[in-house]
Amino acid sequence: MSSRLNRRMTTFAVVAAGLITLALPLLLSSTNIEIYVTIGLYTIVVAGLSLLMGFAGQVSLGQAAFYGIGSYTAAIMSLHGWSPLVALVAAPIATAFLAFLIGIPLLRLKGHALAFGTLAVQLIFLAVIPQAASWTGGSIGLSAIPSLRIGPLAISSGRDYAYLVWVVVVATLFIARNITRSRPGRGLRAMAASVSGASATGVEVERYKLKDFTLSAAFAGIAGGIYVFFIGYISPDAFPVVLSIEFVIMVVVGGIGTVAGALVGAALITVISQVLISLGTGPSLPAQLPTVLSLGVYAVILILILRLLPSGLVGAFNRLLKKGQPAPTVPHFVGGSVLEVRSAKDTEEPNELTLVDEV
Amino acid sequence: MTAFVEYLLTGVSRGLVFALLAMGFVLIYRVTRVVNFAQGAFAIFGGFITYSLLKAGVPHGLSELLAVAASALIGLVFGIIAIGGEIPLLASLVITIGLSILSEAIVMLIWGTTPISYSGLAGHDFVIFGAFIQRQYLIVIIASLVVFIALVYGFGRTYFGKAMSACASNPYAARLSGINVKKMGLIAFTLGGALGGLAGVLITPLSPITYSADISLAITGFAAAIVGGLISPGLAVVGGLVFGIAEQFVAGYWSPSNETAVALALLIVLLLWQARRVPVGGLE
Repeated sequence: MSSRLNRRMTTFAVVAAGLITLALPLLLSSTNIEIYVTIGLYTIVVAGLSLLMGFAGQVSLGQAAFYGIGSYTAAIMSLHGWSPLVALVAAPIATAFLAFLIGIPLLRLKGHALAFGTLAVQLIFLAVIPQAASWTGGSIGLSAIPSLRIGPLAISSGRDYAYLVWVVVVATLFIARNITRSRPGRGLRAMAASVSGASATGVEVERYKLKDFTLSAAFAGIAGGIYVFFIGYISPDAFPVVLSIEFVIMVVVGGIGTVAGALVGAALITVISQVLISLGTGPSLPAQLPTVLSLGVYAVILILILRLLPSGLVGAFNRLLKKGQPAPTVPHFVGGSVLEVRSAKDTEEPNELTLVDEV
Repeated sequence: MTAFVEYLLTGVSRGLVFALLAMGFVLIYRVTRVVNFAQGAFAIFGGFITYSLLKAGVPHGLSELLAVAASALIGLVFGIIAIGGEIPLLASLVITIGLSILSEAIVMLIWGTTPISYSGLAGHDFVIFGAFIQRQYLIVIIASLVVFIALVYGFGRTYFGKAMSACASNPYAARLSGINVKKMGLIAFTLGGALGGLAGVLITPLSPITYSADISLAITGFAAAIVGGLISPGLAVVGGLVFGIAEQFVAGYWSPSNETAVALALLIVLLLWQARRVPVGGLE
């Protein structure tokens, strides 16, 4: 397949996807619009996490907490007299600032301390929110959150939110794509393969990692901010640990470090989880069945993808498309190739993931 | 004074349970470089299997032993799934996250969502400095000390233990001298499973467990292991004790609802301290 044909196909796919995205809110029922908005919100979070996993080579198990912090920031500010738009803008800023503070020490640790450090952040978040009841409404939460308004434009119906979310999705995917192709992106990719190699060629490893982590939190923060205006109420139950794990699964399913993978992973897992909930809920079925089903299916999907398709669905699709061509070097394939580089390298070169004695 | 002794002893015994979990982390990390997120799941399996065996009429002692053996087997299976074949480290770590939620699903499916507990070995409570101490606490202390001594002996004196340490310090040299590094990794997972299972068996009579208790157990065990930079078993025991005692004193003198938050804050402080000190995960 020639690269020109390839490019034409890509353009066609992007245009088709754009048209479908624009048409869907007009066609969907209100329940389905909610799912559609959710997919958009999760795509934003997953795009950030995917950058973190694919480039810094780190796993965060606190993305649901960052999503929650964005939500609470927007909710509390708008309930205290700030304009909803200001509150929405503040959500990613506050979240990013917090991640920045946590990231400075955590990212200096080798190994996968970030995974547990961010999990601790998530658990602290879940422990603190019910305690700080005067601000957060405790475990009952906050309600009557005003709806969003951009200038004269009131955003109130599900359809309005669908368009708003997908505008932000496009913006975040665009940022993510530019980062993967920019100088910092190349530096990060070099870093995921070999930290010492990257720093020897002048990549400021620590700074890039920190920026990557901060950006991933900002993405989660803006998604959380939109979520709270869309839903209109908020409680700590909306941000369980398993949501953080779901985000990791979405990244893995789509393809670590791929921009399109964020969308594919978020859409697929959200739809699967809806199907499982409707399958597992019924008058004669045990109450815990939906949870058992979703945890079990998530786990199996996660393990099977990592064992059989380590570059995710998008990576596998790209490979299928480019069969017989020389090894791909395009950035959107990076997740797959980074994983392969790691597996090939971890026997001979000290890097972030292999942790050989001294770097 | 009475309250102090009580908090101290309960803290020490809970701390030793955390130390067992931490040893599992250290063992698996040293040999395979994988931070095993499913370490808490072994404890849940250990506790729930003991509960079922006891309910089925299997006597004390045998039930506990069988549960630990089953956890070891689960550890082996998890090891095969997480590190079998050629697989990058990041993928192994994420797979252990998957195994952890898979365990939650299995436990919920078999045992449901209600917290379970069982009484430890029967016997009188002890009175030390006027404080009533349940016999189970002393059993925990004795059992974990026996295991620690066995591990120290096993690693320091036997050929097998030395082979395992060799894998930890230099996998390539170990491979060159004829040690099967992959097999050692699987053995580490099996032992990690047994250690985690024992932790669950011991802690369930003291505080009821649920299907989702694995995450808090895993994170406390990890925190204890971090004290020793994930590689030092001795410091991991110290870490476990620090966490166990701190937790009891916070719950006793301040408020039980702050217990988790304080433990997690302590973890973050430890991570900060480690970040200043040595690279975590580097061998000396």
